Amino acid sequence: MEIVQTVLSISLISSALAVVVVIADRFLNDYGECVIDINGGNRQMTVNGGSTLLSALAANRIFIPSACGGKATCGLCTVQVASDVGPVLPTEEPYLSEEQVNEGVRLSCQIKIKHDLEIHIPEELFNIEQYQARIEKITDLTHDIKEFRFALEEPAELAFKPGQYVQIDSKPYGSVTESVSRAYSISSVPSDKGFVDLIIRLVPNGICTTFMHEHVKEGDTITLRGPFGDFYLRDGADDLVFIAGGSGLAPIKSLVFDILEQGLEKNMTFFFGAVTKKDLYYVELFQDLEKRYPNFRYIPALSNPAPEDAWQGDVGLITDVVAKYVETPVNKQAYLCGSPGMINACINVLTGIGLTEDEVFYDKFT
Amino acid sequence: MKQSPELHAIQENMRSGSLAGFGFLGSDTRQLIDILEADDALVTQLGTTHGDIARRLQFFYTEGRKGLGQAVEVERRYDVVAEEHKGGIPCPFRDNHTAPKVMVSVTDQKTGQRLSFSALNIHMIQAHGFYEGHGAKFRIEPATVMRILF
Repeated sequence: MEIVQTVLSISLISSALAVVVVIADRFLNDYGECVIDINGGNRQMTVNGGSTLLSALAANRIFIPSACGGKATCGLCTVQVASDVGPVLPTEEPYLSEEQVNEGVRLSCQIKIKHDLEIHIPEELFNIEQYQARIEKITDLTHDIKEFRFALEEPAELAFKPGQYVQIDSKPYGSVTESVSRAYSISSVPSDKGFVDLIIRLVPNGICTTFMHEHVKEGDTITLRGPFGDFYLRDGADDLVFIAGGSGLAPIKSLVFDILEQGLEKNMTFFFGAVTKKDLYYVELFQDLEKRYPNFRYIPALSNPAPEDAWQGDVGLITDVVAKYVETPVNKQAYLCGSPGMINACINVLTGIGLTEDEVFYDKFT
Repeated sequence: MKQSPELHAIQENMRSGSLAGFGFLGSDTRQLIDILEADDALVTQLGTTHGDIARRLQFFYTEGRKGLGQAVEVERRYDVVAEEHKGGIPCPFRDNHTAPKVMVSVTDQKTGQRLSFSALNIHMIQAHGFYEGHGAKFRIEPATVMRILF
Protein backbone atom coordinates (compact mmCIF):
# COMPACT_ATOMS: atom_id res chain seq x y z
CA MET A 1 0.00 0.00 0.00
CA GLU A 2 2.80 2.34 0.94
CA ILE A 3 4.54 1.63 -2.39
CA VAL A 4 1.37 2.43 -4.33
CA GLN A 5 0.97 5.72 -2.44
CA THR A 6 4.57 6.65 -3.15
CA VAL A 7 4.23 5.87 -6.85
CA LEU A 8 0.98 7.84 -6.99
CA SER A 9 2.56 10.81 -5.22
CA ILE A 10 5.53 10.87 -7.56
CA SER A 11 3.24 10.59 -10.58
CA LEU A 12 1.09 13.47 -9.36
CA ILE A 13 4.08 15.68 -8.64
CA SER A 14 5.57 14.84 -12.09
CA SER A 15 2.28 15.62 -13.82
CA ALA A 16 1.94 18.91 -11.95
CA LEU A 17 5.50 19.89 -12.92
CA ALA A 18 4.84 18.97 -16.55
CA VAL A 19 1.75 21.20 -16.57
CA VAL A 20 3.78 24.06 -15.07
CA VAL A 21 6.48 23.62 -17.72
CA VAL A 22 3.92 23.60 -20.56
CA ILE A 23 2.19 26.72 -19.20
CA ALA A 24 5.52 28.50 -18.62
CA ASP A 25 6.68 27.60 -22.11
CA ARG A 26 3.49 29.01 -23.56
CA PHE A 27 3.88 32.34 -21.80
CA LEU A 28 7.66 32.75 -21.63
CA ASN A 29 8.29 31.70 -25.25
CA ASP A 30 5.22 33.37 -26.65
CA TYR A 31 6.55 35.80 -29.22
CA GLY A 32 3.06 36.42 -30.53
CA GLU A 33 2.35 37.08 -34.16
CA CYS A 34 5.30 38.27 -36.23
CA VAL A 35 5.30 39.70 -39.74
CA ILE A 36 7.85 38.49 -42.28
CA ASP A 37 8.42 40.97 -45.07
CA ILE A 38 9.96 39.42 -48.19
CA ASN A 39 11.85 41.36 -50.85
CA GLY A 40 10.85 44.85 -49.77
CA GLY A 41 7.13 44.32 -49.45
CA ASN A 42 6.79 41.97 -52.44
CA ARG A 43 5.19 39.52 -50.03
CA GLN A 44 4.23 39.65 -46.41
CA MET A 45 3.09 36.91 -44.10
CA THR A 46 2.04 36.72 -40.50
CA VAL A 47 3.39 33.78 -38.53
CA ASN A 48 3.43 32.69 -34.91
CA GLY A 49 6.81 33.51 -33.38
CA GLY A 50 8.99 30.79 -31.93
CA SER A 51 9.49 28.65 -35.01
CA THR A 52 12.50 28.74 -37.31
CA LEU A 53 12.46 30.96 -40.35
CA LEU A 54 12.90 27.91 -42.61
CA SER A 55 9.85 26.11 -41.21
CA ALA A 56 7.72 29.28 -41.06
CA LEU A 57 8.42 29.99 -44.73
CA ALA A 58 7.70 26.35 -45.66
CA ALA A 59 4.40 26.51 -43.77
CA ASN A 60 3.54 29.43 -46.04
CA ARG A 61 4.59 27.45 -49.11
CA ILE A 62 7.87 29.24 -49.67
CA PHE A 63 10.41 26.45 -49.91
CA ILE A 64 14.02 27.41 -49.33
CA PRO A 65 16.41 24.68 -50.58
CA SER A 66 17.50 22.45 -47.70
CA ALA A 67 19.00 18.99 -47.81
CA CYS A 68 19.37 18.27 -44.09
CA GLY A 69 15.92 19.08 -42.82
CA GLY A 70 17.04 22.02 -40.68
CA LYS A 71 20.01 20.51 -38.85
CA ALA A 72 22.54 23.04 -40.14
CA THR A 73 24.54 20.36 -41.88
CA CYS A 74 23.97 21.23 -45.54
CA GLY A 75 24.31 25.02 -45.62
CA LEU A 76 21.79 25.36 -48.46
CA CYS A 77 18.99 27.29 -46.74
CA THR A 78 20.57 30.73 -46.94
CA VAL A 79 18.47 33.90 -46.94
CA GLN A 80 19.47 37.53 -46.60
CA VAL A 81 18.12 38.97 -43.36
CA ALA A 82 17.89 42.76 -43.15
CA SER A 83 16.60 42.79 -39.55
CA ASP A 84 18.74 42.29 -36.47
CA VAL A 85 18.55 38.62 -35.49
CA GLY A 86 21.68 38.51 -33.38
CA PRO A 87 25.19 37.34 -34.23
CA VAL A 88 26.01 34.45 -36.58
CA LEU A 89 25.80 31.19 -34.65
CA PRO A 90 28.69 28.71 -34.48
CA THR A 91 26.46 26.26 -36.35
CA GLU A 92 26.21 28.71 -39.26
CA GLU A 93 29.84 29.81 -39.47
CA PRO A 94 31.19 26.93 -41.59
CA TYR A 95 28.67 27.61 -44.34
CA LEU A 96 28.95 31.38 -44.65
CA SER A 97 31.75 33.34 -46.29
CA GLU A 98 32.90 36.62 -44.80
CA GLU A 99 31.20 38.42 -47.69
CA GLN A 100 27.92 36.64 -46.99
CA VAL A 101 28.09 37.47 -43.30
CA ASN A 102 28.67 41.13 -44.17
CA GLU A 103 25.62 41.04 -46.45
CA GLY A 104 23.43 39.61 -43.69
CA VAL A 105 23.15 36.14 -45.22
CA ARG A 106 22.09 33.54 -42.65
CA LEU A 107 20.97 29.93 -42.50
CA SER A 108 17.20 30.14 -42.24
CA CYS A 109 17.05 26.89 -40.24
CA GLN A 110 19.03 28.56 -37.46
CA ILE A 111 16.99 31.79 -37.22
CA LYS A 112 14.28 31.65 -34.57
CA ILE A 113 11.50 34.14 -35.23
CA LYS A 114 11.07 36.39 -32.19
CA HIS A 115 9.90 39.63 -33.84
CA ASP A 116 9.03 41.08 -37.23
CA LEU A 117 11.61 40.27 -39.88
CA GLU A 118 12.63 41.70 -43.23
CA ILE A 119 14.30 39.21 -45.56
CA HIS A 120 15.39 38.91 -49.17
CA ILE A 121 15.28 35.73 -51.26
CA PRO A 122 15.68 35.02 -54.99
CA GLU A 123 12.39 35.63 -56.80
CA GLU A 124 12.48 32.17 -58.41
CA LEU A 125 11.92 30.58 -55.01
CA PHE A 126 8.34 31.82 -55.20
CA ASN A 127 7.80 29.27 -58.00
CA ILE A 128 8.80 26.29 -55.90
CA GLU A 129 5.96 24.04 -54.86
CA GLN A 130 5.55 20.98 -52.72
CA TYR A 131 4.06 17.93 -54.44
CA GLN A 132 2.59 14.64 -53.40
CA ALA A 133 3.67 12.06 -55.95
CA ARG A 134 2.94 8.37 -56.36
CA ILE A 135 5.73 6.06 -57.47
CA GLU A 136 4.39 4.68 -60.71
CA LYS A 137 7.34 2.58 -61.77
CA ILE A 138 10.77 1.54 -60.48
CA THR A 139 13.32 0.36 -63.05
CA ASP A 140 16.73 -1.18 -62.36
CA LEU A 141 19.17 0.59 -64.67
CA THR A 142 22.43 -0.90 -63.33
CA HIS A 143 23.51 -2.89 -60.27
CA ASP A 144 23.33 0.28 -58.15
CA ILE A 145 21.21 2.76 -60.12
CA LYS A 146 17.42 2.81 -60.30
CA GLU A 147 15.00 5.07 -62.12
CA PHE A 148 11.82 6.18 -60.37
CA ARG A 149 8.82 7.42 -62.29
CA PHE A 150 6.55 9.60 -60.19
CA ALA A 151 2.97 10.46 -61.07
CA LEU A 152 2.23 13.88 -59.59
CA GLU A 153 -0.98 13.91 -57.59
CA GLU A 154 -1.21 17.28 -55.88
CA PRO A 155 -0.42 19.65 -57.58
CA ALA A 156 -0.75 17.65 -60.78
CA GLU A 157 1.93 19.42 -62.86
CA LEU A 158 5.46 20.66 -62.27
CA ALA A 159 6.92 23.32 -64.57
CA PHE A 160 10.70 23.06 -64.75
CA LYS A 161 13.66 23.71 -67.01
CA PRO A 162 15.54 20.63 -68.22
CA GLY A 163 18.61 20.23 -65.98
CA GLN A 164 16.89 21.32 -62.77
CA TYR A 165 16.37 19.14 -59.70
CA VAL A 166 13.79 18.36 -57.05
CA GLN A 167 14.17 17.42 -53.42
CA ILE A 168 12.50 14.34 -52.04
CA ASP A 169 11.75 13.57 -48.41
CA SER A 170 12.61 10.14 -47.07
CA LYS A 171 10.51 8.56 -44.34
CA PRO A 172 11.73 6.79 -41.19
CA TYR A 173 12.69 3.14 -41.76
CA GLY A 174 14.47 0.51 -39.72
CA SER A 175 16.71 2.26 -37.22
CA VAL A 176 16.43 5.55 -39.15
CA THR A 177 14.03 7.61 -37.09
CA GLU A 178 14.03 10.90 -38.97
CA SER A 179 13.05 12.14 -42.39
CA VAL A 180 15.73 13.77 -44.54
CA SER A 181 15.55 15.74 -47.79
CA ARG A 182 17.90 15.05 -50.69
CA ALA A 183 18.25 16.56 -54.14
CA TYR A 184 17.97 14.56 -57.37
CA SER A 185 18.05 15.81 -60.96
CA ILE A 186 14.99 15.31 -63.13
CA SER A 187 15.63 12.99 -66.08
CA SER A 188 12.28 13.41 -67.83
CA VAL A 189 11.24 16.32 -70.05
CA PRO A 190 8.83 19.15 -69.18
CA SER A 191 6.40 18.01 -71.89
CA ASP A 192 5.88 14.75 -69.99
CA LYS A 193 3.26 16.58 -67.97
CA GLY A 194 2.09 15.03 -64.76
CA PHE A 195 5.22 12.90 -64.38
CA VAL A 196 8.72 13.31 -63.03
CA ASP A 197 11.51 10.76 -63.51
CA LEU A 198 14.52 10.61 -61.18
CA ILE A 199 17.67 8.50 -61.52
CA ILE A 200 19.10 7.59 -58.12
CA ARG A 201 22.34 5.79 -57.39
CA LEU A 202 22.65 3.86 -54.14
CA VAL A 203 25.14 5.51 -51.79
CA PRO A 204 26.59 3.07 -49.24
CA ASN A 205 25.20 4.04 -45.84
CA GLY A 206 23.18 6.87 -47.40
CA ILE A 207 19.91 7.55 -45.59
CA CYS A 208 17.80 8.70 -48.52
CA THR A 209 19.24 6.52 -51.30
CA THR A 210 18.91 3.43 -49.08
CA PHE A 211 15.31 4.46 -48.42
CA MET A 212 14.61 4.83 -52.12
CA HIS A 213 16.43 1.64 -53.16
CA GLU A 214 15.30 -0.68 -50.39
CA HIS A 215 12.24 0.72 -48.63
CA VAL A 216 9.86 2.05 -51.28
CA LYS A 217 7.69 0.21 -53.76
CA GLU A 218 5.48 1.10 -56.69
CA GLY A 219 2.31 2.75 -55.45
CA ASP A 220 3.94 4.48 -52.48
CA THR A 221 3.46 8.23 -52.08
CA ILE A 222 6.45 10.54 -51.68
CA THR A 223 6.78 14.29 -51.03
CA LEU A 224 8.75 16.29 -53.62
CA ARG A 225 9.71 19.95 -53.75
CA GLY A 226 11.01 21.92 -56.66
CA PRO A 227 12.15 22.86 -59.18
CA PHE A 228 15.56 24.05 -57.97
CA GLY A 229 18.88 24.81 -59.62
CA ASP A 230 20.58 26.89 -62.28
CA PHE A 231 21.90 24.03 -64.43
CA TYR A 232 19.91 24.55 -67.62
CA LEU A 233 20.43 25.41 -71.28
CA ARG A 234 21.84 28.86 -72.04
CA ASP A 235 21.67 30.79 -75.28
CA GLY A 236 24.73 31.54 -77.30
CA ALA A 237 26.24 28.42 -78.89
CA ASP A 238 25.22 25.92 -81.55
CA ASP A 239 27.58 23.08 -80.61
CA LEU A 240 26.86 21.50 -77.27
CA VAL A 241 29.10 19.06 -75.45
CA PHE A 242 27.47 16.99 -72.73
CA ILE A 243 29.59 14.97 -70.31
CA ALA A 244 28.24 12.75 -67.55
CA GLY A 245 29.02 9.78 -65.37
CA GLY A 246 26.87 7.61 -63.10
CA SER A 247 23.53 9.17 -62.17
CA GLY A 248 24.79 12.42 -63.74
CA LEU A 249 23.10 11.16 -66.90
CA ALA A 250 19.74 12.33 -65.50
CA PRO A 251 19.81 16.07 -66.27
CA ILE A 252 21.67 15.47 -69.56
CA LYS A 253 18.93 13.10 -70.72
CA SER A 254 16.36 15.77 -69.93
CA LEU A 255 18.34 18.44 -71.79
CA VAL A 256 19.03 16.30 -74.88
CA PHE A 257 15.46 15.07 -75.25
CA ASP A 258 14.03 18.54 -74.72
CA ILE A 259 16.35 20.09 -77.33
CA LEU A 260 15.38 17.43 -79.86
CA GLU A 261 11.72 17.78 -79.02
CA GLN A 262 11.88 21.57 -79.41
CA GLY A 263 13.67 21.19 -82.73
CA LEU A 264 16.45 23.55 -81.65
CA GLU A 265 19.25 23.78 -84.18
CA LYS A 266 22.01 22.46 -81.98
CA ASN A 267 24.72 19.93 -82.68
CA MET A 268 25.11 17.73 -79.63
CA THR A 269 27.78 15.28 -78.51
CA PHE A 270 27.10 13.29 -75.37
CA PHE A 271 30.08 11.65 -73.63
CA PHE A 272 29.16 9.15 -70.94
CA GLY A 273 31.96 7.70 -68.82
CA ALA A 274 31.79 4.41 -66.95
CA VAL A 275 34.26 1.84 -65.67
CA THR A 276 32.86 -1.39 -67.11
CA LYS A 277 29.89 -2.35 -69.22
CA LYS A 278 27.80 -3.14 -66.15
CA ASP A 279 27.97 0.58 -65.25
CA LEU A 280 26.45 1.65 -68.56
CA TYR A 281 22.73 2.20 -69.02
CA TYR A 282 20.35 3.69 -71.60
CA VAL A 283 22.86 2.71 -74.29
CA GLU A 284 20.19 1.56 -76.75
CA LEU A 285 18.11 4.65 -76.05
CA PHE A 286 20.91 7.04 -77.00
CA GLN A 287 22.13 4.87 -79.87
CA ASP A 288 18.63 4.98 -81.27
CA LEU A 289 18.60 8.79 -80.97
CA GLU A 290 21.89 8.89 -82.83
CA LYS A 291 20.34 6.97 -85.73
CA ARG A 292 17.27 9.17 -85.86
CA TYR A 293 18.92 12.59 -85.39
CA PRO A 294 22.01 13.53 -87.43
CA ASN A 295 22.73 16.40 -85.02
CA PHE A 296 23.15 14.05 -82.04
CA ARG A 297 26.22 11.94 -81.35
CA TYR A 298 26.61 9.52 -78.44
CA ILE A 299 30.04 8.44 -77.21
CA PRO A 300 30.03 6.04 -74.28
CA ALA A 301 33.50 5.26 -72.95
CA LEU A 302 34.75 2.64 -70.54
CA SER A 303 37.81 3.33 -68.47
CA ASN A 304 38.48 -0.29 -67.55
CA PRO A 305 36.34 -2.72 -69.55
CA ALA A 306 36.23 -6.30 -68.35
CA PRO A 307 37.38 -8.99 -70.82
CA GLU A 308 33.85 -10.41 -70.92
CA ASP A 309 32.53 -6.97 -71.93
CA ALA A 310 33.95 -7.47 -75.43
CA TRP A 311 33.86 -3.69 -75.64
CA GLN A 312 34.30 -2.20 -79.12
CA GLY A 313 33.86 1.44 -78.14
CA ASP A 314 36.21 4.06 -76.75
CA VAL A 315 38.44 3.09 -73.86
CA GLY A 316 40.07 5.47 -71.39
CA LEU A 317 39.32 8.14 -68.84
CA ILE A 318 36.46 10.34 -69.97
CA THR A 319 38.86 13.30 -70.02
CA ASP A 320 41.05 11.55 -72.61
CA VAL A 321 38.04 10.63 -74.72
CA VAL A 322 36.71 14.21 -74.63
CA ALA A 323 40.13 15.53 -75.60
CA LYS A 324 40.21 13.08 -78.52
CA TYR A 325 36.91 14.27 -80.03
CA VAL A 326 36.50 17.94 -79.04
CA GLU A 327 38.95 19.83 -81.19
CA THR A 328 37.81 23.43 -81.36
CA PRO A 329 36.16 25.75 -78.84
CA VAL A 330 34.38 27.76 -81.52
CA ASN A 331 30.65 28.22 -80.96
CA LYS A 332 30.63 25.65 -78.13
CA GLN A 333 29.15 25.24 -74.70
CA ALA A 334 29.70 22.30 -72.37
CA TYR A 335 27.31 20.86 -69.80
CA LEU A 336 28.76 18.52 -67.18
CA CYS A 337 27.17 16.44 -64.44
CA GLY A 338 29.01 13.99 -62.23
CA SER A 339 31.46 13.72 -59.38
CA PRO A 340 33.54 16.77 -58.44
CA GLY A 341 36.69 14.92 -59.50
CA MET A 342 35.31 14.17 -62.94
CA ILE A 343 33.97 17.69 -63.41
CA ASN A 344 37.20 19.39 -62.33
CA ALA A 345 39.22 17.15 -64.65
CA CYS A 346 36.84 17.83 -67.55
CA ILE A 347 36.90 21.59 -66.95
CA ASN A 348 40.69 21.46 -67.23
CA VAL A 349 40.45 19.60 -70.53
CA LEU A 350 37.79 21.91 -71.94
CA THR A 351 39.56 25.12 -70.93
CA GLY A 352 42.75 23.59 -72.32
CA ILE A 353 40.97 23.21 -75.67
CA GLY A 354 40.00 26.88 -75.47
CA LEU A 355 36.52 27.07 -73.94
CA THR A 356 36.21 29.86 -71.42
CA GLU A 357 34.89 29.06 -67.94
CA ASP A 358 31.63 30.87 -68.67
CA GLU A 359 31.01 28.46 -71.54
CA VAL A 360 31.18 25.47 -69.20
CA PHE A 361 28.16 24.71 -66.99
CA TYR A 362 28.12 21.99 -64.43
CA ASP A 363 26.14 20.29 -61.72
CA LYS A 364 28.60 18.86 -59.23
CA PHE A 365 27.61 16.06 -56.90
CA THR A 366 28.11 18.28 -53.87
CA MET B 1 35.71 6.25 -17.53
CA LYS B 2 33.14 8.98 -17.01
CA GLN B 3 31.94 10.57 -20.21
CA SER B 4 31.44 14.32 -20.56
CA PRO B 5 27.98 15.64 -21.53
CA GLU B 6 29.54 16.90 -24.80
CA LEU B 7 30.79 13.44 -25.70
CA HIS B 8 27.45 11.97 -24.68
CA ALA B 9 25.69 14.33 -27.10
CA ILE B 10 28.15 13.35 -29.84
CA GLN B 11 27.49 9.67 -29.14
CA GLU B 12 23.77 10.30 -29.58
CA ASN B 13 24.58 11.99 -32.87
CA MET B 14 26.33 8.79 -33.97
CA ARG B 15 23.31 6.57 -33.58
CA SER B 16 21.77 4.98 -36.64
CA GLY B 17 19.71 7.23 -38.78
CA SER B 18 20.88 10.54 -37.38
CA LEU B 19 23.60 11.47 -39.86
CA ALA B 20 24.22 8.19 -41.66
CA GLY B 21 21.78 5.39 -42.34
CA PHE B 22 23.61 2.76 -40.35
CA GLY B 23 25.24 5.04 -37.80
CA PHE B 24 28.82 4.98 -36.57
CA LEU B 25 28.59 2.68 -33.57
CA GLY B 26 27.39 -0.64 -34.96
CA SER B 27 26.60 -3.11 -32.21
CA ASP B 28 29.07 -1.48 -29.82
CA THR B 29 27.40 -0.80 -26.48
CA ARG B 30 30.39 0.90 -24.87
CA GLN B 31 30.48 4.59 -24.10
CA LEU B 32 32.16 6.68 -26.80
CA ILE B 33 34.94 7.65 -24.39
CA ASP B 34 35.73 3.95 -23.86
CA ILE B 35 35.75 3.25 -27.60
CA LEU B 36 38.19 6.13 -28.11
CA GLU B 37 40.40 5.03 -25.20
CA ALA B 38 40.53 1.43 -26.39
CA ASP B 39 41.46 2.36 -29.97
CA ASP B 40 44.02 4.84 -28.69
CA ALA B 41 45.68 2.07 -26.70
CA LEU B 42 45.46 -0.30 -29.65
CA VAL B 43 47.15 2.14 -32.00
CA THR B 44 49.93 2.81 -29.49
CA GLN B 45 50.38 -0.94 -29.07
CA LEU B 46 50.77 -1.24 -32.84
CA GLY B 47 53.61 1.26 -32.65
CA THR B 48 51.96 3.94 -34.73
CA THR B 49 49.77 7.06 -34.36
CA HIS B 50 46.35 8.18 -35.55
CA GLY B 51 48.14 10.79 -37.65
CA ASP B 52 50.29 8.18 -39.41
CA ILE B 53 47.28 6.00 -40.16
CA ALA B 54 45.25 8.96 -41.41
CA ARG B 55 48.10 10.17 -43.60
CA ARG B 56 48.44 6.74 -45.20
CA LEU B 57 44.72 6.58 -45.89
CA GLN B 58 44.81 10.14 -47.26
CA PHE B 59 47.63 9.14 -49.62
CA PHE B 60 45.53 6.34 -51.13
CA TYR B 61 42.48 8.64 -51.23
CA THR B 62 44.40 11.27 -53.19
CA GLU B 63 45.92 8.73 -55.58
CA GLY B 64 42.63 6.91 -56.05
CA ARG B 65 40.71 10.03 -56.98
CA LYS B 66 43.03 10.61 -59.91
CA GLY B 67 41.40 7.58 -61.56
CA LEU B 68 37.95 9.25 -61.77
CA GLY B 69 36.34 5.99 -60.71
CA GLN B 70 38.82 3.69 -62.46
CA ALA B 71 41.33 1.48 -60.62
CA VAL B 72 44.71 3.15 -60.26
CA GLU B 73 47.90 1.21 -59.55
CA VAL B 74 49.81 2.65 -56.61
CA GLU B 75 53.34 1.73 -55.52
CA ARG B 76 53.26 -1.15 -58.03
CA ARG B 77 51.43 -3.11 -55.36
CA TYR B 78 47.93 -1.77 -54.83
CA ASP B 79 44.83 -1.30 -56.98
CA VAL B 80 42.98 1.73 -55.69
CA VAL B 81 39.45 2.77 -56.66
CA ALA B 82 37.84 5.95 -55.35
CA GLU B 83 34.11 6.11 -55.93
CA GLU B 84 32.42 9.47 -55.52
CA HIS B 85 28.76 9.84 -54.64
CA LYS B 86 26.45 12.82 -54.50
CA GLY B 87 26.59 15.01 -51.42
CA GLY B 88 28.60 15.25 -48.24
CA ILE B 89 28.35 13.89 -44.74
CA PRO B 90 28.95 16.00 -41.63
CA CYS B 91 31.38 14.78 -39.00
CA PRO B 92 29.40 13.50 -36.01
CA PHE B 93 31.86 15.22 -33.66
CA ARG B 94 30.17 18.51 -34.57
CA ASP B 95 33.40 20.16 -35.60
CA ASN B 96 31.82 21.77 -38.65
CA HIS B 97 33.66 19.44 -41.02
CA THR B 98 31.68 17.95 -43.89
CA ALA B 99 33.40 15.18 -45.84
CA PRO B 100 32.57 14.40 -49.46
CA LYS B 101 30.90 11.03 -49.96
CA VAL B 102 33.89 9.23 -51.38
CA MET B 103 34.55 5.53 -50.81
CA VAL B 104 38.06 4.25 -51.42
CA SER B 105 38.89 0.61 -51.92
CA VAL B 106 42.53 -0.55 -51.76
CA THR B 107 43.43 -4.08 -52.89
CA ASP B 108 46.85 -5.62 -52.39
CA GLN B 109 47.67 -7.25 -55.74
CA LYS B 110 49.84 -9.92 -54.14
CA THR B 111 47.60 -11.10 -51.33
CA GLY B 112 44.19 -10.00 -52.59
CA GLN B 113 43.50 -8.40 -49.21
CA ARG B 114 41.24 -5.39 -49.45
CA LEU B 115 40.51 -2.38 -47.25
CA SER B 116 37.67 0.07 -47.84
CA PHE B 117 37.30 3.43 -46.15
CA SER B 118 35.54 6.74 -46.62
CA ALA B 119 36.75 10.33 -46.70
CA LEU B 120 34.98 10.79 -43.39
CA ASN B 121 36.94 7.87 -41.87
CA ILE B 122 40.17 9.70 -42.66
CA HIS B 123 38.96 12.88 -41.00
CA MET B 124 37.58 11.14 -37.92
CA ILE B 125 40.84 9.23 -37.41
CA GLN B 126 43.00 12.30 -37.98
CA ALA B 127 40.98 14.74 -35.91
CA HIS B 128 39.39 12.53 -33.27
CA GLY B 129 41.17 9.16 -33.20
CA PHE B 130 37.81 7.56 -33.97
CA TYR B 131 37.64 4.36 -36.02
CA GLU B 132 33.88 3.75 -35.42
CA GLY B 133 32.33 1.19 -33.09
CA HIS B 134 32.63 -2.57 -33.37
CA GLY B 135 30.16 -3.93 -35.90
CA ALA B 136 29.76 -0.52 -37.60
CA LYS B 137 29.56 -0.79 -41.37
CA PHE B 138 32.60 1.44 -41.91
CA ARG B 139 34.65 0.47 -38.85
CA ILE B 140 38.37 0.64 -39.68
CA GLU B 141 40.50 -1.83 -37.74
CA PRO B 142 43.88 -0.19 -37.04
CA ALA B 143 45.57 -3.60 -37.21
CA THR B 144 44.06 -4.22 -40.66
CA VAL B 145 45.35 -0.87 -41.90
CA MET B 146 48.82 -1.74 -40.64
CA ARG B 147 48.72 -5.21 -42.18
CA ILE B 148 47.50 -4.16 -45.62
CA LEU B 149 48.69 -0.63 -46.20
CA PHE B 150 52.07 -0.37 -44.46
